[in-house]
Amino acid sequence: MSTTVPATKAELLQRLQRLLRWRLWIREKLQLTEWQVTLLWAALAGFLGAMASMIFSVLAEGVHEFMTGRTGGVVEVMRQLPWWGCLLVPTLGGAAAGLVLLYGSRLTRSQSSTDYMEAIVIGNGRLPVRASLVKSTAALFSIGSGGSIGREGPMVQLSSMVASIVGRYRKFTGPQLRLLVACGASAGIASAYNAPIAGSFFVAEIILGTIAMESLGPLAISAVVATLTIRVLTAAQVLYKVPAFQLNSAWEMGPYVILGLLAGGLAPIFLRSLKQAEEFFIALRIPLVARLALGGLVVGVIAINVPEVAGNGYTVVVDILNGRLIWTVLLGIFACKWLATMSSFGSGAPGGVFTPSLFMGASLGYLFGSGVHAIWPAAAVDPGAFALVGMGAFLSAASRAPVMAVIMLFEMTLSYDIILPLMLCNVISYYTAKGVAGESLYSASLRRKAAAEPVSALPAGRVQDLMKVDPPTLPPAARFTKIASKFLSVRVNNLYVCDADGKFLGAVSLHDIKPYLGNMELAELVIARDIMREDFPRIGPDQSLSDALGRFLGVTAERLPVVAPETGRLLGSLAKGDLLLALVEKRSKPAA
Amino acid sequence: MDLPTSLLAQPDALLLDLVANSRESAIVALHAQLAKSPAVKDAGQFLHGLLERAMVAPVCIAADVALPHARTEAVDRVVIGVARVAAPGVGFDAEHPAVRLIFMVGTPKQQVEEYLLTVAAITRTVKADGVRAGLLAAKTGAEFTALLARGAKR
Repeated sequence: MSTTVPATKAELLQRLQRLLRWRLWIREKLQLTEWQVTLLWAALAGFLGAMASMIFSVLAEGVHEFMTGRTGGVVEVMRQLPWWGCLLVPTLGGAAAGLVLLYGSRLTRSQSSTDYMEAIVIGNGRLPVRASLVKSTAALFSIGSGGSIGREGPMVQLSSMVASIVGRYRKFTGPQLRLLVACGASAGIASAYNAPIAGSFFVAEIILGTIAMESLGPLAISAVVATLTIRVLTAAQVLYKVPAFQLNSAWEMGPYVILGLLAGGLAPIFLRSLKQAEEFFIALRIPLVARLALGGLVVGVIAINVPEVAGNGYTVVVDILNGRLIWTVLLGIFACKWLATMSSFGSGAPGGVFTPSLFMGASLGYLFGSGVHAIWPAAAVDPGAFALVGMGAFLSAASRAPVMAVIMLFEMTLSYDIILPLMLCNVISYYTAKGVAGESLYSASLRRKAAAEPVSALPAGRVQDLMKVDPPTLPPAARFTKIASKFLSVRVNNLYVCDADGKFLGAVSLHDIKPYLGNMELAELVIARDIMREDFPRIGPDQSLSDALGRFLGVTAERLPVVAPETGRLLGSLAKGDLLLALVEKRSKPAA
Repeated sequence: MDLPTSLLAQPDALLLDLVANSRESAIVALHAQLAKSPAVKDAGQFLHGLLERAMVAPVCIAADVALPHARTEAVDRVVIGVARVAAPGVGFDAEHPAVRLIFMVGTPKQQVEEYLLTVAAITRTVKADGVRAGLLAAKTGAEFTALLARGAKR
C-alpha cells in the first residue's frame, strides 16, 4: 500500500520555479517582436479591409439594381434603358448622393477630414467613422447610378476607416496608427484590383513616399491577406483577361517610346481638365444636391447615345484590350468618356478617378497603336498591346508612381511579356508628365489640404510625441519570482524599476535573469534592486527624435524609458519601431 | 577555475569564530575585516549598502546561512567575506533566528551578471552535500576554505 507524502513548501516552490523557467523559455523562443506583431495587425487590417470592400461592392450593385430595375453591368444596363431612363438614373443618383452628403454633414459637422491619404500623410491616422460612412453611402448612389467615376476610391476609404477603428481601439501610437491606416488603404486597392503587389506599392510609392521595409512589409502582408480573402470568398481571378501579349519585333519599341511621350503629355491635361471642371461646377453657385444632379444629368445626356461612358470604364477597357472596338468608335467614346468623367468628378460625385485613368490610357494606346498599324503595320502588329501599355503609361504619368503602374498592369493581366515595353513607356511618360506639370493625381489634393491645415498632427520631432505611457514596472523590492511572473505577463525584455514616487531607478533585463530561473535559493534572496541595471539608457521627453535614435544605437533594447530630467520620474517608454516609422514619415512628408 | 570558485577558495576576508549579538553587529564585524581588501575603495559606502539592503528584504538563503550583499560603487571588483558565527548563532530576522554562516558579497554596480554568478555559486556551494556541516565543524581556516573550494567546484 502506498502513502501520499504531502509536498513541502520548498518542493512546491521548486516546482513553481521550474514551471516559470519553462514558461519563460517557451515565451522567449516564441515571443514575437514588435515588428512581427505589427505584421499580425496588418493582416487583420487586410482581412477587414477586404470584407469592407466586398460589402461596398455588393451594396453598389444593389443600388444599381434598385435604381435601374435591371441586373448586369452598368454599360449593359444603360444600353437597355430608354432615353429618359438614361437621363433619369444618373440625375437621381447624383441628387441622392447630394442629399446624403447634405444631411450627413449635419451628423459630421465637427469631424475632421475623411481623406485617408490626408490621415496617413499629414493627419493623425484617425479617420472619422460617421463622415466616412456618409461619404461612402453617397458614393453608392453616384456609382450605382452609373456616374463616370471609380468605385476603388470609396473601397479604399472604407478599408482605411476600418483599420483606423482597430488601431484606435488598440490605442496605437500615432506612427503605428498611420501605418495601420496605410495597410487598410493597401488592402482596399488590392481588393479592388485583385492586385496585392500594386496595392502595397500604391500606398508606399504614392502616399508614404518610401519603400522602406518598416512600412512596405506590413503593407504587403495586408494586401496579400486582402487579396486572398477576396479570392476565397468571391472566386475573383485576373481582373483583365487579355490575349497573350507578344513583342513581335524590336521595331515596336520605337512607337512605344512615342506612346510614352503622348501619355506623359496627355495625363496632366486630363488632370487639369478635372480640376477645371471642379472649378466650373463650384462657380455655378448652385446647391450641392442640384450640382450633383447636374453632374449626373450630363452623364445621362451623353449616355443616351454613348452608354459606354457610364460607370468606371472597366467594360470598355476589356473590349478595347480584346479588340472588340474599332478605332473610329473608340475615338468617340474616348471624347465622351472624358467629358462624362469631368462632369462626375467636377460636380463632386464621391468616387475615384483611378479606373477612369486606366480607360484613358487604354484608349490612347489603342488609338495610337491603330494609327501606327495603319501607317507601318510591322511596328504595331497588335494595337491591343498598345492599349495595355498605354494603360500603364497613363497611370504612371497621372499618379507619378511608375513602379506601381508597372506592377499593377502586370498583376491585372498576368502577362509577363508586357514588362519590357511597359517599363520603357512608363518611365518615359513619368518624366514627360513631371516635366509638363508638377502635380499628380494625388499630390495636388494633398498639397491643398496640407496648406489648408497648417497644424499638422505629424510628430513635431520630440520624444514625447511618440511616447507610450504606463509601461510595465516593478518596485525595487520585488522578488525574483514576481519578476519572472511579470516577464511572463507582459511582452517586454526589460522591466523598469521605480520607487514609490515613480522615480526611475533602473531596469531588470530578462537576459540577465534567464540562466537563474531554476535556482530556488536565488528566488528567495534576489530582489529587483539587486539585479537592476542603473545605467540603463534613458531619454528625456523633450529630446529630439534623432537624439533618441542615437540612444538606441549600441543597445539591444527595443524600448527605452522616457524619464523627466528634473524629477527623474518615469513618464513612459519609446519603442524603436515607432521611432523608425516616425523618421520615415518625416522624410517623406509633403511640403505644405 | 571560474571567478566565484576562485573567490570562494580564497575569500578576501575570513572570520571563524565571530561573536555577535545582532544582525547589524555581525555585518559590521565581517565588513570591518573585508574592508581591509584593496578592492574596497569606500568602506563607509559599502557598509551603508550592506545594511540598507538587509533592511529592505531578507538576505538569508537557508535556516542558518545569510548572504548580506550590495551592488555598490565602493568596490572595484567582486569581493567576498566569509564568517562562521559562534554557537548558537545570530538572529537575522524572525524566520532565521540562528544564522551560523555569513557570506558577504560586494559587487561593482555595473556587474549584474557577475553578481548573479557569485550569489548562485555561493548558494550552490552551501547546498552541496556535507559542505555546510563541514564548514561548521572545520577546525582551521585552511580546512574551511578547502571545503568551500570543493563545494564550489561540484
